[in-house]
Amino acid sequence: MSNEYSHSVILREDRCIGCTSCLKVCPTEAIRVRDGKAKIISDRCIDCGECIRICPNHAKSAITDDLNMMKKFKYNIAIPSLTIYGQFPSNISISQILTSIKRIGFDEVVEDTIGADISIFLIKEYLLKKPGMEFPLINSSCPAIIRLIQIRFPDLIPNIITIETPVEITARIAKTEVAKRKGIDIKDIGVFFITPCTARVTSIRNPLGITESYVNGAISIKDIYGEIVRNLGDNNNLIKGISTRESILWPIAGGQASALGIENYLAVDGIHDVIKVLEEVELGKLEDIDFIECSACTGGCVGGPLVIQNSFIAKNRLMKHAKKVDISKYTKEDLDRFIKMYEDGFIRLTEKIEPKSVMRLDKDLSKSIHKMELVTEILKNLPGLDCGICGSPTCRAFAEDIVKGENKKAVCMIKTMNGFKSKNL
Amino acid sequence: MGNISYNFPIEKDDFERAGEASSKIKKILRQLGMDSSIIRRVAIGAYEAEMNLVIHSLGGTIGITIDPESIIITAEDTGPGIENVQLAMKEGYSTAPDRIREMGFGAGMGLPNMKKCSDSFDIESIVGKGTKIVMKMMLKDGD
Repeated sequence: MSNEYSHSVILREDRCIGCTSCLKVCPTEAIRVRDGKAKIISDRCIDCGECIRICPNHAKSAITDDLNMMKKFKYNIAIPSLTIYGQFPSNISISQILTSIKRIGFDEVVEDTIGADISIFLIKEYLLKKPGMEFPLINSSCPAIIRLIQIRFPDLIPNIITIETPVEITARIAKTEVAKRKGIDIKDIGVFFITPCTARVTSIRNPLGITESYVNGAISIKDIYGEIVRNLGDNNNLIKGISTRESILWPIAGGQASALGIENYLAVDGIHDVIKVLEEVELGKLEDIDFIECSACTGGCVGGPLVIQNSFIAKNRLMKHAKKVDISKYTKEDLDRFIKMYEDGFIRLTEKIEPKSVMRLDKDLSKSIHKMELVTEILKNLPGLDCGICGSPTCRAFAEDIVKGENKKAVCMIKTMNGFKSKNL
Repeated sequence: MGNISYNFPIEKDDFERAGEASSKIKKILRQLGMDSSIIRRVAIGAYEAEMNLVIHSLGGTIGITIDPESIIITAEDTGPGIENVQLAMKEGYSTAPDRIREMGFGAGMGLPNMKKCSDSFDIESIVGKGTKIVMKMMLKDGD
């Protein structure tokens, strides 16, 4: 397994014109424009995909896996993200979508309903009631938020619910079950997540909270959409869906929280709003809240960077599908089984999520203080417009880059222009 | 020994910007590479002080001085001053008017919380002149 941190979000240099659109929206100030091209600071990037969304030239892109990867395995399982049901007109049923995905060449299609329902059920009936929990609990399902917390809110790591994300739960159950049923070695089974999410792609390659993901590849909804459309139409031998109402609503902002049947929660979507709320949590002002559902994408997972459909339309369609199916039903025995799976570490985040101090100026505190003094000194001479023309997102970031020695050719255009003006007078 | 100081002016009743100073302080400490637990304590102390200035005072400043051994937060205002400091330090004691309490502030925990998160806490207040609070947080080795 490669330990090198590889990101899903990448820059296609040929398309980048060096504008400053992405600089401004990056929640971790991970982008600089150098020599006319955007550069991503790897350590800081949380793969939220904000830059992909904003780039007018489509220079920000995502690396995902392609269907050729299936050749590596004897038996291939597709787990389509629940958001996929909202990507087609409402008259196309979930069964038709699932069947069409299978026809692309998968041996089996497993619905992510399994993981979503188990996760909801465990949080609702077990984790919210478990002694020693750090409130407010924060959902673990959004990988961009987990990475944001590592970098900007390390104090809140204990609040993250230590349950695996639905797709990981589904993958584990599906893989183990197929291995048993078909007598195939688990290594020969490939699990592919059809994803709306760039951060999920990264988390499959570099998992957080677990040692290795049971998901082998992630295929972008954008990439596979055409294949699905081409395979629709033949309505023979349709796969019977098992979706529950809660799971279909899961990928919509607020869906996860409302499925818990509690009133005392916050559902926050959009990474910049999430930051505002987490700042309040950090100040200890929201300890009376039970659960905070944070979603980096506006609208929830349906607003992911790799979807086809506008999130508002997708949401409407998901709600229509949800109305047609039953609510999830589980027995006491099911709950005991899920708790055991959790406690045994099968669907629990067993590894510690470590803080990442990528924002600091220096490892040594005295040196850090000295550098901070320099930053403050430089800032006094900058216009404070945060225009981004220098290639750093703010004047402050510009000063920090100089002090850290990362920006040797730094020039403030505004200051230079003003210099010319005063000479002409 | 190297130290660094910042001052943030705080205006009376400026609820729109309330919390900005403590937010900036938090960001500075994060960049200095301070330990999370100390950042949290400083942030809470600074936030409570900032809110007190907004709600109760006629305006003032929040200052922070950081050196490798300690962090000192100073909150200074120009009045009205606290009549009975001992009483004000009691948990739950509040002089905040109803309209402020309705907003969720003024629970009477401001000063006690500041004291709780500091290693040393000093308060001086003269009615008609103003209040000065000094909170000191020590940095342990390795912070």
